[in-house]
Amino acid sequence: MPHIENSPEHATSQTSAQPSAGLLDTRYQVETPEGIDLTLRPAGLVPRALAYSIDLIIRGVVMGLMYLLLGMLGKLGMGLGTILLFLVTWWYMVLFEVLNQGRSPGKQWMGLRVVHDDGTPVGWPASLTRNLLRFVDILPMGYTFGILSCLNSPTFKRLGDIAAGTLVVYREEKPQPPILPEAEAIRAPFALSLKEQRAILGFAERANGLSKERRIELAGIIAQQLQVPAEQAEHRLNGIAHSLVGPR
Amino acid sequence: MRLTEASVAIRPRSNWEAMDLGVLLARRHAGLLMASWALVTLPIFALLCLVFWDSPGIAMFVFWWLKPAYERLPLYILSNCLFGNTPTLKQALKAYPRLLKPQLLASLTWRRLSTTRSFDMPVMQLEGLSGTARSQRLAVLGHKNTGTATWLTVVGVHLEMALSLGLATLFYLMLPQQLELDWSWQSLIAPGQNDWMWLEHLSNGLYALLLIVWEPVYVACGFCLYLNRRTALEAWDIELVFRQLQQRLKGIAYALLLGAGLLFSQLPGTAMANPELKASSTSAELTSGPHLTPDPLGPHAERLQKQALSSQAAQQSITQLLDKPPFKNPETVTRWRLRDEADANKEEFTPDPDFLESLFSGLKTLGKLWESMETLARVFSVLLWAGLLALIAWVLWRYRDWLSTFTGRFGLPQRPHKLPPSQMFGLEVTPESLPDDICREVSQLWEHEPRAALSLLYRALLSRLLHDYKLALKSAHTESEVLQLVASLQQPSLEQFSSSLTLHWQNLAYGHRLPPATAKQSLCNSWRQLFEPGVEA
Repeated sequence: MPHIENSPEHATSQTSAQPSAGLLDTRYQVETPEGIDLTLRPAGLVPRALAYSIDLIIRGVVMGLMYLLLGMLGKLGMGLGTILLFLVTWWYMVLFEVLNQGRSPGKQWMGLRVVHDDGTPVGWPASLTRNLLRFVDILPMGYTFGILSCLNSPTFKRLGDIAAGTLVVYREEKPQPPILPEAEAIRAPFALSLKEQRAILGFAERANGLSKERRIELAGIIAQQLQVPAEQAEHRLNGIAHSLVGPR
Repeated sequence: MRLTEASVAIRPRSNWEAMDLGVLLARRHAGLLMASWALVTLPIFALLCLVFWDSPGIAMFVFWWLKPAYERLPLYILSNCLFGNTPTLKQALKAYPRLLKPQLLASLTWRRLSTTRSFDMPVMQLEGLSGTARSQRLAVLGHKNTGTATWLTVVGVHLEMALSLGLATLFYLMLPQQLELDWSWQSLIAPGQNDWMWLEHLSNGLYALLLIVWEPVYVACGFCLYLNRRTALEAWDIELVFRQLQQRLKGIAYALLLGAGLLFSQLPGTAMANPELKASSTSAELTSGPHLTPDPLGPHAERLQKQALSSQAAQQSITQLLDKPPFKNPETVTRWRLRDEADANKEEFTPDPDFLESLFSGLKTLGKLWESMETLARVFSVLLWAGLLALIAWVLWRYRDWLSTFTGRFGLPQRPHKLPPSQMFGLEVTPESLPDDICREVSQLWEHEPRAALSLLYRALLSRLLHDYKLALKSAHTESEVLQLVASLQQPSLEQFSSSLTLHWQNLAYGHRLPPATAKQSLCNSWRQLFEPGVEA
């Protein structure tokens, strides 16, 4: 229907009516029974590959040292070494994941952790499944299937993750209290949605990271709506941010 | 560039997350990206193979070296896709020669081995910068991102190796059994053997194939890193929301001016009572000091004044309702409690220094009193405890018999004992209900009341079965079931007697047919033989 495509009003009204539909995002929402949305941030191929490499190096070093020590014990040492090899191969990841809040040392280093699909801490069955199925991911050589699955999944799951229903996510860091530029708290002259409040707060918090020209430009966008000249818009926005944060 | 038309959620992310977004972006446009990449690279690869047929290594190296040239096409596609105007395959391929022109030499020579290639490329291609301007821009953008971009390249190198190894293994595994060649490692490794040339070309081909999958992802990851850096530096996300806010408020203004919401009726957020909002914004500005005066827009302001139920009336009725059950259940509890010693002291206490002495002496006397009270209390407690123990001892003595039987019964664990039923078929079967000499009674009754006689005999039998033979009869058993149980006792004479008696009884009871006269004697005799052998003798 070409006449619809040609009318600009129609197009704009459509885009603004559904501003967030189909936007590509790395976030993954889980709704709890209480109706709370948990936001998880699944981790992609590159950080996971790096975390795995770190774990691989750690395991290699541990095995090398132990073999050196056990080599002195002769045949007994070889037997012990074989047991150790089994433990390190099959239980290193499982034990760390279950007992250390889903973090093997490599994942800890990269700020990752393993959770169930619904955001709950990973347990024995899921961790065992995902680590035993590593051998499917390794097929036919060098994690080929795992890499392809990870690239193709919207939440970056390898085959073991799909089978076990687990997710590798970025750990949530403790949020720092925001540091706002000095200004007197002013109430916003119009009602603000949550998203808009966040944007104004973000504007004030990130002021140090932005150039002065950019700050003036950004504030100038809504200077008219704030009913101040463009030069004072930034100060006014900081004031609104203070009123949003509240007294502390 | 219009941020409102971006097809990705714009917000500052960590660098790793930005790369993940790149993977998702490449995934969304995978078909276009992979097809265009294949159409560009595969002919070049074929050409190189033909030219360097005798030395596959060189063909491979040249193909690999030219990667930055191919990468410009996916970047072009991605940058267009980002703001919604996805080019068709044809448009993309048409645009490709134009993309190749700027700084191609630099890309393929001194910048070829840069580890941050994917991150730097957008600066050159999309911002069109070169020379010092480019390096300055990179210095600004690069800041913390070069590390991540380098890691991306490092991981990418290993990933290419892993994937080519995997593909080669897969290929080898897929060879049919009949084609199983005599591949020994020595002949594979040994150089200069032309027999294995095709194998090398094959592995090169696999590399070209895997790049179709990986290179778009690599370019997209670098592109998203670049985007993320610019988002953070220029606060794109904030600009986006501010523009939307401006649009929204403008819409409100128009609605006010036009007085008709027809045009923007589809917009969310304009359906509110806007005129009030606009009018009150000026007054809010005048009284800018927060929390001094009650805010006309605040939650406590009175609203809905012109309606039947104003906000105030609604609040009142809500409060009234909430004060009543089941929301509030007030309860008055009155009970006695001891007055605390400490409380008494507190009441006496005054900061007067003269009074302190008397207070101390008072406290001392109180302490003495307390000590004497304590001894008294001890005596009382001893008495009370003694009384309690005496009471317990008396109770034990008083009910010693009862207790001994009680504990005797419960002393040993006994099997649950089932009492035999006292009635079967409505007949009393307890031994007490039977006369002493059954046979005589039966003989007396037989002439006049045969029914009573037979019933007496039958319930006598049941009673004996229950109490002498300890047969587990239940009141729910039928006559034939009783007979089966009797059969299980394996006493032929008893069984015979029981069956003949039961037959006669059933005939009489249900069929109203009198037993033959001879039956009386035989039944009585059998009874005597079975149950009263002493009398018979």
